[in-house]
Amino acid sequence: MRPLSSENLWRIIGISAVLSTLLLLAGFGFAVKDMLYPKGEVFEGRANVPALPAGGKLSEGKDIAITAIGDSLTKGTGDASGEGYVKQVVALLKQKYPDTSVRLNNNLAVNGLKADRLEQLLETDKGYSFALRQANVIVFTIGGNDLFQIASGTSPVKAAGELNLNKLKAELPKDLKRLAHVLKRLHAINPNVQVVYVGLYNPFYDIPEYRGGSLQIQQWNERAYALLHQYPNMTMVPTFDLFENAIGRYLSSDHFHPNHDGYAQIAARIVQSLE
Amino acid sequence: MNRLLPLIQNETLKIWKKKRFFVIVLVLLTLIPIFTYAQLRITETNKKNFKDWRNQLVQQISEYQNTLSSDRIPDEWKRSRQIAVQQLQYYLDHDVNPNSPDGVTFTRIFLSNAVTLFFPLLVLALASDLVSGERTSGTIKMLLTRPVRRWKILFSKLVALSLYVSLTVVVSAVLCYLISGALLGYNGWGMPVFTGFFINGSSVESGLVHAIPQWLYLLMEAGLIWVSAMTVALLALMVSVLVRSTAGSIVTMMAAVISGTILSSMASSWHSAKFIFSVNLQLTDYLAGSPPPITGMSLGFSLVILACWGIISLVVSFSVFTRQDILN
Repeated sequence: MRPLSSENLWRIIGISAVLSTLLLLAGFGFAVKDMLYPKGEVFEGRANVPALPAGGKLSEGKDIAITAIGDSLTKGTGDASGEGYVKQVVALLKQKYPDTSVRLNNNLAVNGLKADRLEQLLETDKGYSFALRQANVIVFTIGGNDLFQIASGTSPVKAAGELNLNKLKAELPKDLKRLAHVLKRLHAINPNVQVVYVGLYNPFYDIPEYRGGSLQIQQWNERAYALLHQYPNMTMVPTFDLFENAIGRYLSSDHFHPNHDGYAQIAARIVQSLE
Repeated sequence: MNRLLPLIQNETLKIWKKKRFFVIVLVLLTLIPIFTYAQLRITETNKKNFKDWRNQLVQQISEYQNTLSSDRIPDEWKRSRQIAVQQLQYYLDHDVNPNSPDGVTFTRIFLSNAVTLFFPLLVLALASDLVSGERTSGTIKMLLTRPVRRWKILFSKLVALSLYVSLTVVVSAVLCYLISGALLGYNGWGMPVFTGFFINGSSVESGLVHAIPQWLYLLMEAGLIWVSAMTVALLALMVSVLVRSTAGSIVTMMAAVISGTILSSMASSWHSAKFIFSVNLQLTDYLAGSPPPITGMSLGFSLVILACWGIISLVVSFSVFTRQDILN
């Protein structure tokens, strides 16, 4: 190829550079106009509602999608491996149903989540509804933060010192009402799904002054079960017994959340309850 | 004017013959495939873990919320995370994927990440030896003994530089699109992108948010990048006039640009840092609605600051260049 003459080279560079400059100046003009005199306008997104998966037995379906919501227990706080009970449930379900594809759809748990915030999320958050509608198994935990009233930031060990059993008693009815709302919303979002609620336990069972708290916790569990009982697709797995005698084996070093083995026990129970 | 055009032509061809622009294209041709591959891997992992982009987005929001509850996170981070959560939520609520894996989205994200460091670097490759190089090689005497006013010589250098800065921005965007599109797909031009997020403290007001097609967003972004690249170019020209050696002028400008990026990540409490030019280079952030490095900064503010720096460096370059003695 014959090299371009200087004249032609200059013409090519010059024209393309001038055109580029004009283009960029136009872009800059648009940007300034758009930023300094913004006009808000409503953007109508397409509503995207996924089809509900068919209900019925897990063993008969083609795939299992699990969505987990709730507080730090669902997040898996305290598990050094980061699996929590949710990922262990997925692994166990894969063993139980080797012919179906088992998949964790979303784990949307947030540390420190309380029932009123969850209620709000289920009410307004489209992402939550989306992820819940795709699922045929929903696992969730809620209520622990409401009952123990642990201010975010205080370590649970310190919180034990602030724990007030009378306050716990006073909180109970209010928190149960919130749980009822949460269940109602869950049912409205996805009526076909199998819902498993993980019951509460008393992490301070081994501290003599707070052993009595177990009775309140048990009351919560009982009333929560009564609420779940209204919906045939919902159930509850108990966990309180794991953390009484074997508390040293199953609780993590923060003395509040389970450790890996503790979560493994919870996961085993959840999988037993699913069919 | 009749003397000016041949001068500009001469300077433009000089930069071309020095192969500076080839270096830039070569750098782009090496780096873009690497980033594209990285993006491809991310996309593949996400596809494996998430059924739908909405699942991925809702998971991301939930993870941001989890970091918000931690006490070890500095407040400044929390603030930017809170803002990010609200913006992602806006995208989710309106069913628009903010990170759709396609060539145009990749180009948009690549350009906005390149504006503070990568583009200044490319500009320095063009501008740093514009005057000091002539001095190092001694050709400046030849240039100045011609019967042309000195300001015309510097002006022609400036015009040539501006032309190449424009070419650099456009060629980067085009190469980015062509290369990433081969792996990620060439679509995404019409996808809506939201702009107009108004940040107030740690909350986002979405009253003025509106959707614009991605091609227009890309054009606006490129225009803003051009303005910050031009500011760097003007400053580099000034340094090139003031500092006699090319190495010295590159190091000076590099230090200024890099210190700006460091400052913007840590100087949120030092308010007067917002008058430094390099803190204001990230103009594209205003478009995306990301929080500015220092509170109180806005697009208008940054543009004024950049313009001031640009004008000052022009005045200094011209007054020094037209008066200084050329010694060896």
